[in-house]
Amino acid sequence: MLSILPQLVVNSLITGSIYALASAGLALTYGLLRVLNFAHGHIMMVGAYFFLLFYAQLELTFLSAVLCSALGMSVVGFITLRVFVLPFMKASALLPFITTMALGTILESIISMAFGVNVRSFPSSIGSESAEFYGVYITPLQNFIIASALVILGCMGFVIHQTSLGRKLRAIAENRAAAESLGISTTTITYGVCILGTLLGAYAGILVGYETNIQPTMGSSYTIKAFAAMVLGGLGNIWGTVAGAFMLGLIENLSIGLDFGGYSLPAGYKDAFAFIVILGVLLLRPHGLFGARARVA
Amino acid sequence: MLEISDIFVSFQGTKVLNGISCTIATGETVGVIGPNGSGKTTFFNCISGFAPSDSGAISLRGERVDHLDPHLRAQRGLGRVFQNFGIFREMSLLENIQVALESRRERAPGLFPWSKRTRDIREQSMTFLKEVRLEKKANDKAGSLSGGQMRLLEIVRTLALGADLFLLDEPTAGVSPRMKEDIARSIKNLQTLGKTVLIIEHDITFIQKFCDRIIVLEEGQVVLDGTPEQVRSDVRLQEIYFGRDEQPTSA
Amino acid sequence: MTSILEIITSEYGVHLAILVSLYLILAQSLNLTFGLGQLFNLAHVASYAVGAYATALLSTDYGATFGVCVASSVTLSGVFALLLGVISLRLSTDYFAIGTLAFSSVISALLINWKSVTHGVLGVPGIPRPELFGIDFYDNSNFLVLIGIVALATQVLYYLLYTSPFGRSLRALAEFERAAAALGKNTCRTRNIAFCVSSASAGLAGSFFAYYLNYIDPSSFALGEMVFILTIVIVGSPGSFWGVIGATAFLVLLPEPLRFLDISSAYLGPMRQLLHALILFAVVWWKRDKLFPQRRTV
Repeated sequence: MLSILPQLVVNSLITGSIYALASAGLALTYGLLRVLNFAHGHIMMVGAYFFLLFYAQLELTFLSAVLCSALGMSVVGFITLRVFVLPFMKASALLPFITTMALGTILESIISMAFGVNVRSFPSSIGSESAEFYGVYITPLQNFIIASALVILGCMGFVIHQTSLGRKLRAIAENRAAAESLGISTTTITYGVCILGTLLGAYAGILVGYETNIQPTMGSSYTIKAFAAMVLGGLGNIWGTVAGAFMLGLIENLSIGLDFGGYSLPAGYKDAFAFIVILGVLLLRPHGLFGARARVA
Repeated sequence: MLEISDIFVSFQGTKVLNGISCTIATGETVGVIGPNGSGKTTFFNCISGFAPSDSGAISLRGERVDHLDPHLRAQRGLGRVFQNFGIFREMSLLENIQVALESRRERAPGLFPWSKRTRDIREQSMTFLKEVRLEKKANDKAGSLSGGQMRLLEIVRTLALGADLFLLDEPTAGVSPRMKEDIARSIKNLQTLGKTVLIIEHDITFIQKFCDRIIVLEEGQVVLDGTPEQVRSDVRLQEIYFGRDEQPTSA
Repeated sequence: MTSILEIITSEYGVHLAILVSLYLILAQSLNLTFGLGQLFNLAHVASYAVGAYATALLSTDYGATFGVCVASSVTLSGVFALLLGVISLRLSTDYFAIGTLAFSSVISALLINWKSVTHGVLGVPGIPRPELFGIDFYDNSNFLVLIGIVALATQVLYYLLYTSPFGRSLRALAEFERAAAALGKNTCRTRNIAFCVSSASAGLAGSFFAYYLNYIDPSSFALGEMVFILTIVIVGSPGSFWGVIGATAFLVLLPEPLRFLDISSAYLGPMRQLLHALILFAVVWWKRDKLFPQRRTV
């Protein structure tokens, strides 16, 4: 049983990296606007399909496909904020949740009509042969996923905690009115963060496409996973959310990988198990594992 | 410095400000008093841009600002100190000042923590903290401060912003009696620096020490405007706070 | 005119009438928690699924009778709401939405994976239509009478609930919880009852859904279905009894003309979804200032 533990930990790191990229943008947006974007998982899915369109179908080079997808996703991020979130902020906290739910459905149905509902995957250009290190198998792609997630999250941490932009961001997240009265343009920063979150989500979606496969209906399950990571870390607490994402990966992989006295859970249960853990957290610590106050850092 | 003419503000059909007009000269210190619900905080919110006005005009140094967002008014020298503490509790004291210095428009903030500009700003922030004798706590979270210290930090932060018009909303609310002296000292400091100051306050004896003028609001209108002595002795002030004496005073 | 009359009396018209009756129960019960109580309950479809699976499994695998099946569906869904309430009712708005969402995700994961009980993605086929007092409901028009009576009874029940003291206290605590508590309302019990009644009704709808289709599988209880019921309540105006009835008829029938256009079936589903989502968005856009009273706290 212990012999597979290192493999499970590595697998958890891979899953956790994807979840962390998917939920970090969501947590940042939540920190600034106090709005749960239900369409975030659908945005991931759209990002993956944009890449599929540009790279696999229009056969652009890898780099220009990435750039075109990023450009397209920036527009999606802008529209999300401008049309589906900001006009509803003042009226009620529930409204943006409902409108982003509508957005998610709209995105899902449009992609279903354009690409069909079947499972798709990217033509593999990154090597998929596993290399073995001390009994742990890992592909170059998986190495890349983990490394890129760590680099991106590290850069985010640096910007948030060490630069003037990060200070402004934290100021807005904590007290919007006070930040405005110090001459900080909240609009510019809000749009910037929302678009950044969209791009991070799209990147995570593309990684999902390389690692497994994509489907128009995958959106809501990733939204729920990202929410789960946020709940584990405390809503709006970005590092808590990142930690929550890796924990979610660990929970999922351990729950199906380890056997409990000769009985092990079938793979399909890992989702259920993860959500049961979330419900347990909500029951015992209604404000997440890491602290009560919602905050960005 | 500040010219306000005929401002109306309403929330969901209820009129909160009913045509306020007044002019504040540069370097003047003006107290704003009035009973609860008379629209004092809305008046400040309207000047700083958080409560949009239905009609009327606000000019800062001759420039119309009533169509501008709060942050653009702040960049034009309008500083606001909030009643319920506008400091960032999760950030350090130093960062609270840095964030204000960095949103000034003269020069772009440094890109990296090791840039020269960033280091300059950090040093400058320290001198601001020293002014209110909080330099020892520079790296503590601002949330660990007492109410009075928070207020001092917020005033000095607004100073760091480069504001020349200060809107202080009840600067002594939530402050221990001992710290009131420190607040008074920092308000006097603003006066010696030649800043224009508007203060909302309940405690009339506290503000009459440094106010040149006092404005009394009631039901969203200016009912009295004059020197502290004039206002204190005016019978209408008593009526506002203690009600009109309905008994006919026969002579 | 004759063609419309033909449609109404045809097998297809009966089918539509049954659908409307079914969604009347589902939407009006969501209206109690989401509309009156302002509880953003995203587990309503999970309650519906619990009811449907209870009936489906009991009637096929255990041969239970109509009465037993319906009663167990209603009871199980009610108990399900109690469980959900314990976890979620003390959470704040955002956590509540996530909590109910996680709960319904657990249910759908169980439906798919607990194959020994739920039959997994293959679903439960061969659910027999009920027989009652010697009348069999194999015929759709007979079934329509049965579900019509049930739907009508549910609507009457909800009308009485909305106008009862219970309905008023639910409305009051949605707007200003502490003020309602200060008036002596037991906020926790009120919400729990609303949750249970709403969930039990969804279970009832689920039971009839299983009987009507003779076959159910997890795909009928996906999140899209939740969005659809939510759309009905929002279009009908949350908290409005008649509004939700009108919106149910309107939204269930609206995409039907699409069937007569020459559209391949692969596009039909997504187009229906798109239509509903656009309507949802448009209605929220137009009514954004009056959809919900601003919640107050002191």
